[in-house]
Amino acid sequence: MKVNDCLLYLLPLLILVTGCDLEKDIDVDLPGHASQLVVECYLEPGKPIRATVLESSGYFDTLAPPLVPDAKVFITYQDRRIALEYKPYFSTTSTTFYTHSSDEKVKGRPGDIYSLEVTDGQGRKITAFTKILPAVPIDTIEWSFNEEEEATVRTSFEDSGNTENYYRYMVHRNRVAVGTVRDLLATDNLRDGKRISFGSPYDFRKNDTLVVSLFNIEKQYYDFFSSVSDAKDANGNPFAQPSRIKSAVEGGIGIFTNLAYDRKVVIIK
Amino acid sequence: MLNLNQMRPYLHLFLCFLLFLFLKLPAHAQSSSIRGYVRAADSGEPLIGATVSVPALGKGTVTDVNGYYMLPLPAGEHTLQASYIGYTPITRRAHTPADGKNKNIVFLLEPANNELKEVEIASNSLRQRLNDTRMSMEVLTTREAKLLPALFGEVDLVKAMQLKPGIQASSEGSTGMYVRGGGADQNLMQLDGTTIYNASHLFGFFSVFNPESVKSVELYKGGFPAQFGGRLSSVVDVTLNEGNNERVGTAGSLGLISSKLTIDGPIKKDKANFIVSGRRTYVDVFTRQINRLSEDNEDYSPIPDYYFYDLSGKLNYQLDDENKLTLSAYYGRDFFSFSEDGFNFGFDWGNRMANLRWEHKFSDQLFASASVNATKYNYNLKNAIDAYSLKLTSDIEDYTFKTDFDWFLEGGHSLKFGSSVTRHYFGIGHLNVNSDDDRLNYTAGNNYHASEFGVYASDDYQINALFSLNYGLRLSAFNSGGRTYTGLEPRISAKYNLDENTAIKGSYASMMQYVHLVSNSGATLPTDVWYPSTKNVEPQRSQQIALGFTKLFARGRFLLTNEAYYKWMHNQLDFRDGANLFLNNNLEAEFLFGKGNSYGNELYLEKVKGKTTGWLGYTLSWTFRQFDEINGGRPFPTRYDRRHDVSLVLMHKLNKRLSVTASFVYGSGTAYSLPVARFAFQDMEGKGASMVPIYEERNGFRLPPTHRLDLGAVLKLKSRHGEADLTFGVYNVYNRRNPYFVYIDHVKDEESSQITGFQAKQVSLFPVVPSITYNFKF
Repeated sequence: MKVNDCLLYLLPLLILVTGCDLEKDIDVDLPGHASQLVVECYLEPGKPIRATVLESSGYFDTLAPPLVPDAKVFITYQDRRIALEYKPYFSTTSTTFYTHSSDEKVKGRPGDIYSLEVTDGQGRKITAFTKILPAVPIDTIEWSFNEEEEATVRTSFEDSGNTENYYRYMVHRNRVAVGTVRDLLATDNLRDGKRISFGSPYDFRKNDTLVVSLFNIEKQYYDFFSSVSDAKDANGNPFAQPSRIKSAVEGGIGIFTNLAYDRKVVIIK
Repeated sequence: MLNLNQMRPYLHLFLCFLLFLFLKLPAHAQSSSIRGYVRAADSGEPLIGATVSVPALGKGTVTDVNGYYMLPLPAGEHTLQASYIGYTPITRRAHTPADGKNKNIVFLLEPANNELKEVEIASNSLRQRLNDTRMSMEVLTTREAKLLPALFGEVDLVKAMQLKPGIQASSEGSTGMYVRGGGADQNLMQLDGTTIYNASHLFGFFSVFNPESVKSVELYKGGFPAQFGGRLSSVVDVTLNEGNNERVGTAGSLGLISSKLTIDGPIKKDKANFIVSGRRTYVDVFTRQINRLSEDNEDYSPIPDYYFYDLSGKLNYQLDDENKLTLSAYYGRDFFSFSEDGFNFGFDWGNRMANLRWEHKFSDQLFASASVNATKYNYNLKNAIDAYSLKLTSDIEDYTFKTDFDWFLEGGHSLKFGSSVTRHYFGIGHLNVNSDDDRLNYTAGNNYHASEFGVYASDDYQINALFSLNYGLRLSAFNSGGRTYTGLEPRISAKYNLDENTAIKGSYASMMQYVHLVSNSGATLPTDVWYPSTKNVEPQRSQQIALGFTKLFARGRFLLTNEAYYKWMHNQLDFRDGANLFLNNNLEAEFLFGKGNSYGNELYLEKVKGKTTGWLGYTLSWTFRQFDEINGGRPFPTRYDRRHDVSLVLMHKLNKRLSVTASFVYGSGTAYSLPVARFAFQDMEGKGASMVPIYEERNGFRLPPTHRLDLGAVLKLKSRHGEADLTFGVYNVYNRRNPYFVYIDHVKDEESSQITGFQAKQVSLFPVVPSITYNFKF
């Protein structure tokens, strides 16, 4: 929880004091927006290459899916240019909507570089790069119970020293396809080269099955994801500064990165 | 910036300047003068800033911090007037002796119509303001502020000051001040000469200055006297009340959200007196009760617990005719906590300060004071979630020693000179994260220390009956982390009387600011921390010019002032988008440096005599900042860039028991950032897209304008002992929903919960709020 968010707890106190409905609908005349290409492409070793290409919309535009049918998507790996086919579909296994895909699987090893190019009929063009990262192994997952037999779970791992590392830690109950119960973004700036632990509240019970994932992520993904969170937070928080999206791609908005993770399944005993 | 070697020529210049002042002294050594003190007749306390004048000659002066004045006059009979806001003016005839001799006169002013606490400002005080060399200055007394309608009946001098032109609130009901385009951190807030770093309670909705303990507030928007330094945009000089020299008295009030109590009196007749004031809010008493009654309701979410209190006191000891000791102190704290389902959040913050001042009278012309003071602001934030705890603290602590001299010279010179040295200690972002079993332990945070120096001299020179000049120089220096910055800050104000009722004025002031507020909230929050200038963080600088005229008309009943100003600001601070200002050992990496400018015109019309008094202020202004890394490098308006700002204050005395007041404010829409577009984001997991807002222009949107009418009434009650009154207030009489912030929300289908569109929503803070306060004094 951000410190400024904590102060939002004071707002109900003020509203209690004034005791009235103090929110109302208003008309806002927003300036026109030049639509931009938006891409999401996460390369996962051993999985097919897939991408989602959409475009941004004015805030009050209609909610029709902003598809870009004439968008062409290419992935280049070791001088080989792979064209992704425009074939919008929803994957029930990954619960994700894709617009472009290929049967080619991601074969890169840590240190290898992939590039992305997206073009469309309006002359818009996105380029981006990602460097395959190694997974960082989870060292231990341990838990302890309180008097109500609720468990707190702690996951620990060793950070490699002298490099800036960025992590995303996620815990799912039962399986990844269902809701996330813990989702943290972190850097090693306070624990460089040391053991890092992520904890949880007493949220779990005996026999709960937990899927614990530790993603070693690129800085560009950390920046993009953080700016997305900040932008969402700024809309409705009077104490937040408006945040521009730190795009990880050139020429548009979006993220092109790879997923390097260690995942363990544990049953709370 | 200058290093010490580069400074040497300036030091020579400064010494020459001092020599110039002192070499001129003998030429005027033989004039006569009338001098003495202006004191309150009921308590004997000195009246600071009281006017003593000879209207027939168009000459006058104001009393210093001891209530002392010195008015050079030709030998002969003169009619003198002494006046002070809220007191009945006195006229006395006096004979000025020849041959350079002086005459002492002490004026004892009676409170004006004590029963109704009505502000009665003598018309000659307006004339004095006309003739004052100083410009861009506002003065407000507690007596005046108490007449104005206030939110929840909580009289607040800072909010009352916001009704003056050129001073804007950060948001409705807030005590955050933006003066002539300066940031909230660019105001030097001083309580009895000691810096207060975070001068607000409750989100900034109330200032830390308890009106029962404060005598007056002086606010400089420009034309800064040389004795002040360290901030770019304003000096807010708050003076605590003096204790009663005559008898023990008690005063207090019972209000909707707080109560106040003040006790003062003599310790040793005509030698020593004291005053102690306290206030505490009590909303928490009711919210705790509500929470207790709802404990069994599983769906009930407890109301957070919040209260604040503050204590202030002052002790005066007149050692002899030449020496006086004063001890002032303040302690205030806010407490906020929230607990639910294993989540425990506690947050407390506050200021404390103490100031010991020794005043010495070398002669009737030369006065000196030396003071040592300490001030500290800190906050503690504790957050515990089950087995894990987080503690975050930050603080700033200062120790200051300063000396000031006032030398009243014949020939129209009043010299001020002095020096100060401050040792700063900064504790920034101290974080400690722990688990119950100590296996999880993170720490972060930095400590800095720095030294700040200032030496100044100025001369208030009455060249002739028409022309006066106040010129001075301040030399400042700051040392931190092996880097020393210095600054030469010239100040000058001039006044020329076109005729008996019209004066034109001009001023130039250069200012330096060596400490910076780390805040990206756009509001004044308790979590804002101060950061020193370092090797990589250069001091902020500004220059301001102001030109204006002042005119008295309708036989001295109205004063019209118009001032135009332009301010340049350099090394302004902002932060990168998404900057982490709390858990960051390399905070400087998040800083951005840019520049700013502000310009505008302030019109002010005041009526001070008669049954109906009040003022009308209108400010037309523009304020911009420019940073290479923000808004694509294009200049953008600040949040407090307000094109039109109008305030109208009227006070009318209906009869001896009842007076009514009204204030109306109008402000152009606040500059605000709204998202103009959106995109769908699935993230690596999918599970449904979320909408991400896209912000383009920084502060490119304008909120609807703010306007509000407040009404108040003061009814004197018949009381056997002392005085009592009821103060009624209605805040926001016509229930205007002024915008606090605007956001864009989803519109969902009620059955399917599918998003069907988007709607802009405006959130307001205060509807119509009636209040009643009982005040007593005995």
